[in-house]
Amino acid sequence: MTRTPDQDSFRYPLVWRLLDGLNTAADVLWPRKMARFTGWLLLAPALLLVGILVISLVQIAESSLHVLDRSTFMPGEDYTLANYATIADSATYARVLWRSLLGAALTVVFTLLLALPYSYVMVRTTSALTRKALLIVLFLPFFIGQVVRAYGILIVMGRSGAVNDILGLVGIEPLRLLFNFPAVVFGLVQYMLPFAVLMLAPALTAIPREIEAAANSLGANWIRTFRHIVIPMAKPGLVGAGLVVGTLSLTDFAMPAMLGGGSQDFIANAIYDQFFRTADQGLGSALALILVALGSVIVGVIIAFFGAGTLGMGGKK
Amino acid sequence: MRNRMTRRSVLRGGLATSAAALLSGLPAGKLLAQEPEKPTEIIVRAWGGDWVQALKAGVSDRFTEMTGIAVRHDLTEDNEIQPKVWAAVAQNRIPPIHVNWDTTTNATKSALRGVTVDLSDLPNLANTTDLAKPVGVDGYPIVNTYGYVYVLAYRPEAFPDGAPKSWRDLLDPRLKGRIALYNDGIGFHFPAQVAGGGSLDDIPDNMDACWEFVKEIKAQQPLLGEDPDFTTWFQNGEIDAACTISTNALAAKKNGIDIAWTVPEEGCKFDTDGLWIPKGLPENELYWAKQYINLALTQESQQIWLDGLGLPGVVPGLTPPAGLAGDPSYPTKPADFEHLIRISNAVQVQNESDWFSKFKEIMQG
Repeated sequence: MTRTPDQDSFRYPLVWRLLDGLNTAADVLWPRKMARFTGWLLLAPALLLVGILVISLVQIAESSLHVLDRSTFMPGEDYTLANYATIADSATYARVLWRSLLGAALTVVFTLLLALPYSYVMVRTTSALTRKALLIVLFLPFFIGQVVRAYGILIVMGRSGAVNDILGLVGIEPLRLLFNFPAVVFGLVQYMLPFAVLMLAPALTAIPREIEAAANSLGANWIRTFRHIVIPMAKPGLVGAGLVVGTLSLTDFAMPAMLGGGSQDFIANAIYDQFFRTADQGLGSALALILVALGSVIVGVIIAFFGAGTLGMGGKK
Repeated sequence: MRNRMTRRSVLRGGLATSAAALLSGLPAGKLLAQEPEKPTEIIVRAWGGDWVQALKAGVSDRFTEMTGIAVRHDLTEDNEIQPKVWAAVAQNRIPPIHVNWDTTTNATKSALRGVTVDLSDLPNLANTTDLAKPVGVDGYPIVNTYGYVYVLAYRPEAFPDGAPKSWRDLLDPRLKGRIALYNDGIGFHFPAQVAGGGSLDDIPDNMDACWEFVKEIKAQQPLLGEDPDFTTWFQNGEIDAACTISTNALAAKKNGIDIAWTVPEEGCKFDTDGLWIPKGLPENELYWAKQYINLALTQESQQIWLDGLGLPGVVPGLTPPAGLAGDPSYPTKPADFEHLIRISNAVQVQNESDWFSKFKEIMQG
């Protein structure tokens, strides 16, 4: 057999050799007969992480069944539901639970109200400059972090802060704007807004402009278009953003701690107190499990009624 | 009679020799040929701000100078380091710190849990007052290093008629939203018991008077925070009065804030802080951690450290910092303690969680 000139001049590229080598190695490590398990292999790291979470939850559940022995500051030997009974009997925890739920709900409502028009303008604007400016404003807070942002709010809204300075210009005496429930919700909304915008933007992008144009051509003004076209079609994004904002708010620690003045605790603050202030890990664990259960039930109910939104990745429910 | 050579007696001998070296100002290494291997550093948990600066100047820098061992200060909150240390000891791991600077109540909890090293063999304990000895525990699982008072700190500008005379003065309507307490009420429970018309003898069995007064204070919408919050709030004009440790008031004053403090007629809580060592350290590191605490009990270290904190120590003969001689926050004589409330640590350890919960229940309403 004779070789053609083309075959003589062809040099097998080094990259191909490397790829061939990798292919061979992959065949050795993960033979082709295992191909049907490849999906599970790709899932393995995530399953490992979830597995660790489940193991820690089991340990927390076990810990919640022991009462602190204050003569030794060790958990008692006996298994008991006393920690759950303590929570059930406590007016404080009922108030804290209610405050956490109300705070999370209000945060979802206000955040979505602000995020929807913001996302819409960001997606629909024809000005590249405007879009970039909105993106920069959106992403800057991500580089700052929650605690620093809360501290910024403390400075700006404090008695001698910029907001009171401006109010002073129109003759209004300095107001106590911080250390109350509205301040906590304000901080949470400010913190959650970028998350909501990022969840909403893809959903709004997926709405064809032509549908809005069709509505306009049929006589709908922009309000009707927004109400009857944009909002219903953005529902997956609204649900996804609501779920993310709601769960993050429900479990938030820093904003209630920093902006609440010590009297506006959420559940996470109560858990912290038990773990780190009174060294009662059993009671703290019981509170943590209740928080997990509460959050899971709420998310489950919302998904049951409205679907998972953009979190469902195209699934119906 | 035979002298038995025990591990404790050997350690005591080593510590005594080393203490002599530390006290003489000579590098210990020149005197101790058999001293254990030196670690490159030891880690001391401390409170931040002026607190750690004072410890650094009075103890840590001197320790490094004398031994060549660096001291790293871990500023993790005392309540947060506690479960980490407990977990390390329970799991037979080396604990994350060598020395814990802690409240005596918290430290007593650790001692009851059995995670503290006995410090009875520190030579310099011989020079200390009774205040250094923890109450309700065997030996010295903690060494108290100074006392402090939860004073009523106030802005003189807000009290033109002079210092508040009673904790009940905080109920003045013009102070609504202008007062601050610790977020678990620490330091306030006992004076509140008196201000509410109760008796200290009823603690802990009947503290109704305390909770009634706390409810009255709740109506004043107090801010609740931690040590650094008080300084910030005074500085930003958010509050006019606070129940806080005198050191924080002193720090605020050093920062240029017009602030004064007083002990009202119902009294103020007096308490102690201390140093302790967690179990599980390698032998050589344990040795040097003990040397650190031993140095903290010398007169010179106490003088420098506590000058920075403005607090009375546990070694006789200390000179009060400028301006604090005779101050109610700097008690040294028995008469100075007449208006201060001291409840045993055993009672506090057993009941503190309940007090915190009750205080929270009222304040979270």
